[in-house]
Amino acid sequence: MAHNQLNALYSDLVRAFDARPSDLQTCGSLLSKLKIGLMEAGLLLPQGEPNLQDLVIARDILEIGAFWSIRTRDVPSFDRYFSQLQTFYTDFSSTLPPSKREYPIRGLNLIRLLTQNRIADFHSTLESLPLPAEAVSENPYLSHPINLERWLMEGSYSKVWNAREEAPVEEYKFFVDYLMSTIRNEIASCEEAAYESLPLDDAKTLLFFTSQSDLLTFAQNRGWQVNLTEKTITFSRKTEEQTEIPKDKLIARSLAYARELEQIV
Amino acid sequence: MPDVEKPTNGDKKDVKKPEARTPPPPTQEIKTNILLLERAVATLEPRFTHRVLRSLAALRKRIDNKVLRTAIEEAYPKDSQSKKSLLAWLPSVDDAMDVETTALPPTKASPIPEPVPEADIYLRLLILHHLLTKPETYSKAIDLAQETIHKMQALNRRSMDPIAAKIWFAVERAYELGGELADARPLFLAAQRSAALRHDDETQASLINRLLRSYLHYSLYDQADKLVAKTTFPASAGNPQFARYHYFLGRIRAVQLNYTDAHTNLQQAIRRSPPPKVAPGFYQTVHKLFVIVELLMGDIPDRSLFRHPVLQKALHAYFEIVKAVRTGSLSQFQTTLAKHAAQFEADKTYTLVARLRQNVIKTGIRRLSLSYSRISLRDICVKLHLDSEEDAEYIVGKAIRDGVIEGRIVHEKGWMECGSQKGAYGPEVSEVFSRRIGYCLELHNQSVKAMRYPLNAHRKELAAAEGARERERELAKEIQDGDLDDEDIGGEF
Repeated sequence: MAHNQLNALYSDLVRAFDARPSDLQTCGSLLSKLKIGLMEAGLLLPQGEPNLQDLVIARDILEIGAFWSIRTRDVPSFDRYFSQLQTFYTDFSSTLPPSKREYPIRGLNLIRLLTQNRIADFHSTLESLPLPAEAVSENPYLSHPINLERWLMEGSYSKVWNAREEAPVEEYKFFVDYLMSTIRNEIASCEEAAYESLPLDDAKTLLFFTSQSDLLTFAQNRGWQVNLTEKTITFSRKTEEQTEIPKDKLIARSLAYARELEQIV
Repeated sequence: MPDVEKPTNGDKKDVKKPEARTPPPPTQEIKTNILLLERAVATLEPRFTHRVLRSLAALRKRIDNKVLRTAIEEAYPKDSQSKKSLLAWLPSVDDAMDVETTALPPTKASPIPEPVPEADIYLRLLILHHLLTKPETYSKAIDLAQETIHKMQALNRRSMDPIAAKIWFAVERAYELGGELADARPLFLAAQRSAALRHDDETQASLINRLLRSYLHYSLYDQADKLVAKTTFPASAGNPQFARYHYFLGRIRAVQLNYTDAHTNLQQAIRRSPPPKVAPGFYQTVHKLFVIVELLMGDIPDRSLFRHPVLQKALHAYFEIVKAVRTGSLSQFQTTLAKHAAQFEADKTYTLVARLRQNVIKTGIRRLSLSYSRISLRDICVKLHLDSEEDAEYIVGKAIRDGVIEGRIVHEKGWMECGSQKGAYGPEVSEVFSRRIGYCLELHNQSVKAMRYPLNAHRKELAAAEGARERERELAKEIQDGDLDDEDIGGEF
């Protein structure tokens, strides 16, 4: 694909993306054409010493692609765009001018890891951010997922709930639904352990439900006993079963010791 | 053969004795080291090479341009090619040359044969270390490093492997000080591949550590983790390499929230590290991480650790954090974290320390659950400096689910009732016990494996046994023949 053709497609993409509301369908078809173009120009995974201006455009296209994937609710596609962007963010960080979309995208990636409950990946990604700790906590795009993670780990679920509307970028809200179902399940498992029974109304507020029917379906899915006349939920306690003596294990272990001792003496 | 063996054994002792008391002048030491290297090559015995390398750390501090120049002049014949290339790396000092020419004559009398290539590489290693002492020669060091690597790979001698491992260390150092550590990575990766193919354990161990260090320096934990998963660290590697490897592994695991593994690895790193007085830097760095990992696991490190003379000062900030976590006070924790942020940042432990927040809360709740049988959520909120009662309820609920405390929440009355602690005796006791026994047995087996036996010593025993059998057979024969009576036997024994 010729260079100027690529440029034309790029400006089409920017126009389609910047339109309010953005033309997602056109963006999608333009993006797939552009990606082929980038590959032919050797810019998708840049090697050697390509032109700076070309690199900036390539990065721009991929960034738009990342946002586009979120808007079309395609998380695996976001994942792919993000890994392609990694090269631009890490290897060319010293030569390229910084992108204003870099941190929103990094933050989105963090939230994605959080909603998929990949906490270990979340932390290694956090560790590899090229920023000092203070700058990270001052960066609104990054501090949002970091705070969410901290509250989730502590158990301050109401803070997570309250922060759901404070997303620094529109795209963050896409993950809120995922996040809410994650928290609800977390809270539910805590309630099962911590309460014997709970009034229906309180359960509703604790689980952030707005209507009683939602709560009832949720309770049904988790197998809670709902008493509608007394308006309470009773949690079935797992009765502590008698701990058995692990005979086989003990025998195997003693034999292993005997064998080792035999070797020593 | 015995004729040759005897004198060498003799002078080995001679060399060793003065070394123990006062170190010989560096030139002399380099000379004997070159002799040792030659012997290592001649006898195919890596032991001598290891001995040479053991003295490296001490020797490194005592060399300068003049020492190196003299050593090279003396080791090589007059117009040797490698001598010229070696000397080219040292600044030419004219008056030093004059001293040399006057000092040289006695050695000139007997022509010296060209030493083995190992000696050449060894001298290059010394020059490299010397160049790394001054910032203005860093770029020169990188050039020398590259040339040495090419030379080493072209020669491709197995007897050179132990020195090669050290060369790689110096190469990394050169790149790191030159600020181009990332550029050296492809070099290391390629070398690591060929080292693995050649079963060159020492170089492989050294290179894996170089790579991990380089990854962690740039916080590339994913890549480091993949490298660890794809390579096997050679079991025969030396203790210093193992200590480093365990430290890097501990770091990676800690970041991945796998604290149990991190703890084991760091413990191994501490056990395998050189004595604290010899390598205080490593000892301190490992302990910093170790303290944090222990806290993250919910344990409180020993108080005595912070009184250790080497650690006391370096671990001060960590001691304060431990105190905050122990008392379970969130506000104290936050102020300590803010106060020592710069240090944690420099130690690359800031994010790990920040993770401790939840542990502080957990400790706080546990303390409350032990001291009260019933406490209102409002009081919990006040005592732990939480933001709202609502939060307190969720947090306590989570603590109960995670098994931090035994108890339940009574929502209508707004309090927490604490159950009695479970008895500590159960299957888990035998679990812990068996883990400890397993460790002891492993230690025993490892030490049996690590024992070294003198080469060919069993021959003598075999010969003795053979002789005894021979005598016995003769004796039996004689008895059979009836030539010998009982008294004779008694006399003989």
